[in-house]
Amino acid sequence: MSKNAPVSAFHRLRRRYGNTMIVALALIVMAILVNVTPLKEQTWLRVLFGVSALNFTLRWTVPLVLGALSGILCERSGIINIGIEGMMLAGAFAGFVAKTSTNHWPLAASLIFSVVAAVAVGGLMGAVHALFSIRFRMDQIISGTVIIILALGTTSYLYNRDAIAEGKFSSIPIPGLAQIPVIGPVLFDNPPITYLALIMVAVVHLGLFYTRWGLRTRAVGEHPRAADTVGINVNRYRYINTSLGGMLAGLAGAFLVLEAVGQFQEGMTAGRGFISLAAMIFGNWNPIGALGAATLFGYTQALQNELLLAGVTQVPRQFISMLPYVVTIVAVSGLVGRVRPPAAEGKVYETEGSA
Amino acid sequence: MRRSRLMTLVVLLTALALLLAACPAPAAMPATDSDADAADSPASAAGQFKVGLVTDVGRVNDRSFNQSAWEGVVEAGEALGLAEDDIKYIETQDAKDYADNMQQFIDAGYNVIVSVGFALGDATTAAAQENPDVFFIGVDQFQGAAMPNLAGLIFNEDHSGYLAGVLAGSLSKTGTIAAVLGTDLVPPVVAFNEGYIAGAKSVNADINVISTYHPGEISQAFLDPEWGAATAKQALDQGADVIFGAGGITGNGALQEVATADGAGEAVFCIGVDTDQWNTVPAAQPCLVSSAMKLITPGVVELVTMASEGEFPGGNYFGDVDLAPFHDFDDMISQELKDLLEETKAGLFDGSIDTGYGN
Repeated sequence: MSKNAPVSAFHRLRRRYGNTMIVALALIVMAILVNVTPLKEQTWLRVLFGVSALNFTLRWTVPLVLGALSGILCERSGIINIGIEGMMLAGAFAGFVAKTSTNHWPLAASLIFSVVAAVAVGGLMGAVHALFSIRFRMDQIISGTVIIILALGTTSYLYNRDAIAEGKFSSIPIPGLAQIPVIGPVLFDNPPITYLALIMVAVVHLGLFYTRWGLRTRAVGEHPRAADTVGINVNRYRYINTSLGGMLAGLAGAFLVLEAVGQFQEGMTAGRGFISLAAMIFGNWNPIGALGAATLFGYTQALQNELLLAGVTQVPRQFISMLPYVVTIVAVSGLVGRVRPPAAEGKVYETEGSA
Repeated sequence: MRRSRLMTLVVLLTALALLLAACPAPAAMPATDSDADAADSPASAAGQFKVGLVTDVGRVNDRSFNQSAWEGVVEAGEALGLAEDDIKYIETQDAKDYADNMQQFIDAGYNVIVSVGFALGDATTAAAQENPDVFFIGVDQFQGAAMPNLAGLIFNEDHSGYLAGVLAGSLSKTGTIAAVLGTDLVPPVVAFNEGYIAGAKSVNADINVISTYHPGEISQAFLDPEWGAATAKQALDQGADVIFGAGGITGNGALQEVATADGAGEAVFCIGVDTDQWNTVPAAQPCLVSSAMKLITPGVVELVTMASEGEFPGGNYFGDVDLAPFHDFDDMISQELKDLLEETKAGLFDGSIDTGYGN
């Protein structure tokens, strides 16, 4: 017992001060950075908190957080979704095809139609994943991998390089709020999918923790037998949630094509689906946590760019880009705080007697 | 019974998915077919001159390196009167297949093998050592130790970048210009950047050049358009008004971002890379003043022709570099600037201008 005492003390410390420790660590790293480089303090302020860095952070965060929300919806109901990357790519491609074939429509109508198409195709991919995992009892990791390969192959096969999407979403400043220095241009002067993504974080959070649907979803993901006993249709919840998750991944794809880059490119998701999974895990399967994790990933990405733009070469930028992954490993290994996946994740649920 | 039917369906769908992922190389199939023919009747291959091309990961019509090199092979084939069946390409699906794809051509008795891209360098060197009778042309592959049957078609990217830098430095009103680049793990990309900086400083010593490299590894650094776009936005936010996008699809993302920015083509401009990107990235046209080109097609034509004549130059072979036409921006570029660019090109060519790269 005495052997365990220091460990549990550490646990308590960790639980209470885990987040503070991360912030303190970040500040120490920043302080070291400021000291080892010849830049002036003013430049450092710009590098660390300048509008360009923060804009980049948010822009980088949006597809990651949407992907993470997609993962949360699926996994909270017990379906592992490793195929976010594929759903995102399929959504991006659908959005591109819809946009290029409606170029002659009024811009807003064409863009909204394309977003709907992207979300629908994402949802379809989610439904296919659910079908594989639930109906066909396929290993969910394999099913997710199939989704990725299917999306990569199909989109690059069908992609027409001559097609051009004309126009993309532009920023909609929110009157008043957009005038606030620094925060205004960063948070309140964005294109619509960025706002939507932030709203979705709140919606999924409230839905998951304050509604009947959310409670049942979590029950299905934690203890499907118990949920079944009280009359919840386990597999129906899983179908619905996985499809909704696919739709969110499709929205992330729509962001890439219709709001960020403006065009489709083969494999343009470039691993964002997988980083979303890391954000989901780091965020402890919680929407707010996932937003925090995705923001951290975006920020380190922005930072390593800012350092290069400012001409800092004393710190190898590989270290900066490594940071989010180190932090993820630390989080997953339980050193700072603890993450725990839904208990019934990845397990096929069969009602008694059906097997 | 019902269960096994479902399993069959799943298996079929999985197979279909794999097939779709593997198949976007319809034109490559004949190459594989001709292997079998050649292996069956080696005598029929004798006396023929055959040229094979192995792409870097991606398609042959990628509107970049692969396509330019393939156009060179086609052009050389026409000039030499080769049958269509004697020029073939294989599209590489995965970096680990480089050697196998080259081996396919070697087994089929091809005389010249063009391998496209820096990443194929090691595989090409190994294949050239094992097959001294086959000529290899490595596009963008620097040769450390010269081999008689391996020519590296390389370019003075720093010269090309220098021209782009002179153009960017002359166009900039804000005094800040940017470069959004693929990875610094690839020397040609670094050369582009160093040349760009030197060129810009040659017209405006005080100019602020901000450059960024993609943080990922080689396999990812050129295929991330959203990183390019977001980074270009970051540079615009910092006041850059000319952005040089050099890094495959990543760079294309940067060009597309500038093309949709406020003041595109009036206050902010972009410069492409490798080929004339006016044609290859039409979405960038609103801001694209020019591109820092490497003339891959003529280089490949020259080398294939020399191979056919048996006068193959082993070692490094320098191709030409140039700026692409200004297209719609032609009227906006002053005659003085055009003259300056011509002088610069001549100076770079005769060595009177030094970009400082590699010193």
